[in-house]
Amino acid sequence: MSLIGHPIVPGGRFSRKTDMPTPALGLLLVLPALAVILLLFVVPLAASVAGAFEVGGGFGFGNFIKTFELYTSDILFTLMIVSLSTAIIGALAIAIGGYLTLGENPRAVALLRWLYRWPMFVPFIVVGQVLRTFLAKNGLMNNVLIGAGLITPMDATSFLDWRGIVIAFVWKQTPFVALLVAGAMASVDRGTLEAARNLGASRVRILLEILVPQVAGTLMVALVLSFVTMMSVLSVPLMINAQSPTMITADIAFRINAYGDYGVANALGVVSLIASAGVAWLYLRHSVKERA
Amino acid sequence: MMAQIDVTSASQDRPAMGVDLWWIPRGLVLGLLAFVIFGPLANLLLWTVAERWYFPHALPIDYGFSYWGRVFAPRGNATEALANSLTVAGLTVVVSLALAIPAGYALARLRLPFRAVILIAFLIPQAFPNLTVYVNVARLFYQLGLNGTIPGVVLVHVTHGLVYAVWIATAAFSAVDAELEEAARSIGAGALRAFLDVTLPLAAPGLLASAIFVFLESLDEFTGSYFVGAPDVNMLPLLLYTAGAGGNYQVASITALLLLVPSIGFMLVVERFLKSDVLSKVGR
Amino acid sequence: MQSLLKPALVASALTLGLAAAPASAAELTVITAGDQNMVDYVNQYLAPLFEKQYPGNTVRVVGTGPGDAGSQKIVERFEAQKQAGSTTWDTDVAVVHEKFVGPMITGAYLEAYRDKISTGKLVSRSNADMALGTKVTGYVMPMFNSQTAIAYNPALVPNPPKSYAELADWAKAHPKQFGYNGIKGGASGVSFVMGWIYAFGDGDANKLMNGPFEAAETKKWDAAFASLRDFTRNATLTPGNAGTLDLLSRGEIAMGPVWVDMFYSWQANGQLPPDFKLVLPAPGMPGQPMHYVIPAKSANKELAEKFVELATSPKVQAEGIVKRFNWYPGIDAQYVQPELDKATWDKLFIAITPEDLAKNGKPFPIAPYNSAILEAYERQATN
Repeated sequence: MSLIGHPIVPGGRFSRKTDMPTPALGLLLVLPALAVILLLFVVPLAASVAGAFEVGGGFGFGNFIKTFELYTSDILFTLMIVSLSTAIIGALAIAIGGYLTLGENPRAVALLRWLYRWPMFVPFIVVGQVLRTFLAKNGLMNNVLIGAGLITPMDATSFLDWRGIVIAFVWKQTPFVALLVAGAMASVDRGTLEAARNLGASRVRILLEILVPQVAGTLMVALVLSFVTMMSVLSVPLMINAQSPTMITADIAFRINAYGDYGVANALGVVSLIASAGVAWLYLRHSVKERA
Repeated sequence: MMAQIDVTSASQDRPAMGVDLWWIPRGLVLGLLAFVIFGPLANLLLWTVAERWYFPHALPIDYGFSYWGRVFAPRGNATEALANSLTVAGLTVVVSLALAIPAGYALARLRLPFRAVILIAFLIPQAFPNLTVYVNVARLFYQLGLNGTIPGVVLVHVTHGLVYAVWIATAAFSAVDAELEEAARSIGAGALRAFLDVTLPLAAPGLLASAIFVFLESLDEFTGSYFVGAPDVNMLPLLLYTAGAGGNYQVASITALLLLVPSIGFMLVVERFLKSDVLSKVGR
Repeated sequence: MQSLLKPALVASALTLGLAAAPASAAELTVITAGDQNMVDYVNQYLAPLFEKQYPGNTVRVVGTGPGDAGSQKIVERFEAQKQAGSTTWDTDVAVVHEKFVGPMITGAYLEAYRDKISTGKLVSRSNADMALGTKVTGYVMPMFNSQTAIAYNPALVPNPPKSYAELADWAKAHPKQFGYNGIKGGASGVSFVMGWIYAFGDGDANKLMNGPFEAAETKKWDAAFASLRDFTRNATLTPGNAGTLDLLSRGEIAMGPVWVDMFYSWQANGQLPPDFKLVLPAPGMPGQPMHYVIPAKSANKELAEKFVELATSPKVQAEGIVKRFNWYPGIDAQYVQPELDKATWDKLFIAITPEDLAKNGKPFPIAPYNSAILEAYERQATN
């Protein structure tokens, strides 16, 4: 019983002539969805992006200069946090999907399937709250560990810094990626897997050499979506990480709320957009190459 | 990672008769996972019924339901907000999928100019931190008379939901073997028939997975709900946001729980529907 | 698609229908920034009272979230409606932090209504006339005054510091036991930083509070920021206003700046031990009022004025603001005090005496200094 009954591989197959009507038909099919995005988001956004280049009535890069002067470390911090989180999420999602597909004990598989999805349903702002009270030095986690005699009160440390952000992101986003990846893995042809198994391949090898390449497309799509989502979350850095540097979204909120400064806020938004679009573009270029 | 270790160890040894010793590592890994997942969730549940809870008490000092009373006070509008949130989330899913299915099909199968640019365009609403955009969005909606209406809120949520819907739909359609559709065409089915009978059912699982994410995205969305919905269409996240950001743990936890139940319900319905659908295909 | 949207259209028609009920029965929309207790205050106390006094009308309230972000969302809502050219706005009364009243007046969103209501004369405090250097006379009525102070755990701090200098010494002697939320996580940290500049800046604190703005003044803070930088290294940074209270409540810090009203509502919610206390160190920390404002294009302007009139009447200020929600009154204390018994009145001043409040309760710096201090903090105290 999987949510997605077959593997999702990147790109389409363009090899058949019957599938090649004029580009007009394709555009027609994309148009309604694209129109919604363009009219209701990109056009209002354009005003904001133009605002990023506005300095005292004229156009210039003043806002960007100030952005990099004040927030370079925050930008790097954000990229590192989000990249690290994405990597961990990918590894965990492969592990979960792999066990769900290859695990031989039905009870353990059922347990894992039942377990892993819960955090997906908790909104980010609540993730921030529950993890703040869970990960704090005297939070529930350390209290339970101390109560169970696993650590002493002296060992208790707070995770409310960059680690807290990574933990929050991984906690919330792993089920999202795992759900898509597990679904894709479940529909990989069982015959191939059985054959490999009969040839004596270990399950780890089957996972890494057969399953993962087959679901690479789905995995990448899920990770790109995850990356973009994490770039735009405000409540987690605000509620968990108190230190400086902080994440771009927190700086944007601060520029607007403290100074009413939309110029630098929009410049930061543009930086964030470039990072997300860059990751998406890398993936798309890669998938096009694979297709060729 | 941990599950992977478990995979290795379990694979080297087939459990013999009697006690399965592999339950020891399995139990450890699953137990750890359960702690990591349910620890924070237990925290949430405890706060929904905590009347007093502070250091040095590891658990709440008093339990009670007085905050439930506050959330469900007649003036609190929680019930109405929940109903609105569910209506909007449901409509958002329907509209997003209606838009994403043709778009995803075209992006996966048809020759398109600027394919990468189009795909990236759908990412923008999620990629650009939208604090600065909503003034402009709200202005547009006031001009169109969409402010304070359910269609208005649905449209805003659709712009965010399309990211998931279109990207996942594209991936789902890409995965369906094009030859199957051609086979249907070659025995005389029209293009639409072939799509509806062959391609769409095969892509359905992926599409329904995206429905879950669109539903969740809509249910949690705050900024658009405030600018476009409030004060006429009040949504549950508005309640959650004030309580959550202000540190009123009890009210925030209760509201989160209210959002959790329909989300899980929606996923179960989708899965059930999916299972029967997939099973029905087996016999053919 | 058509059929899909139908339920939505029906639902919106229903909403419109409700809004367009008989003219005499209006629905008054109140939008408020601030914590959950602001929404609770209107829902649990003020709205039922108003509906009883003006039968047939209803009040609905929307919260926009705590801190500056909450008020900023109200500013943006007004701006969007102004730019859209809406003839009537969807807000009748808004409650905002004083910092945002200036921009609202500059944007010409607001109605000057104070002289039209009878309670307008009950306010003489200067912050009802000036808000961070902008003249706001007539446009605002203070809902309540709030104050930041240092909250502490008496078990760990038997003798709380009475001044910023003592506080700095105490924090040095007790590493990581003092916690504050920097400047990006809410105004209690901002307020602590402003107080630091008032105390240790080389310039004139009164000029910062009252103006005029002179660029030269902004150069006089280098030593203060250098010492603040060292102080911060030795302190714990907390995630937000609520984060400071959270860490206090779980014993991880012993002291930290908080909003007095938030402190009390955490105690009332059982999130903070009842024996925790407050102290307002010399030379003082900023506080600010929350203001009622009425948009010029409110559809129910007269009713909105009646609402604010009720909300700022001595009885409501006594019963609602002071007694039930532990806020300092917005109108002059002399009109509120007679409405309350001595015990209730004194309860408000258990931790911080009226004398302390008069001496050490300061306004925030005027807007240009405010921004200059925040930006200097970003450059000098953290980077």
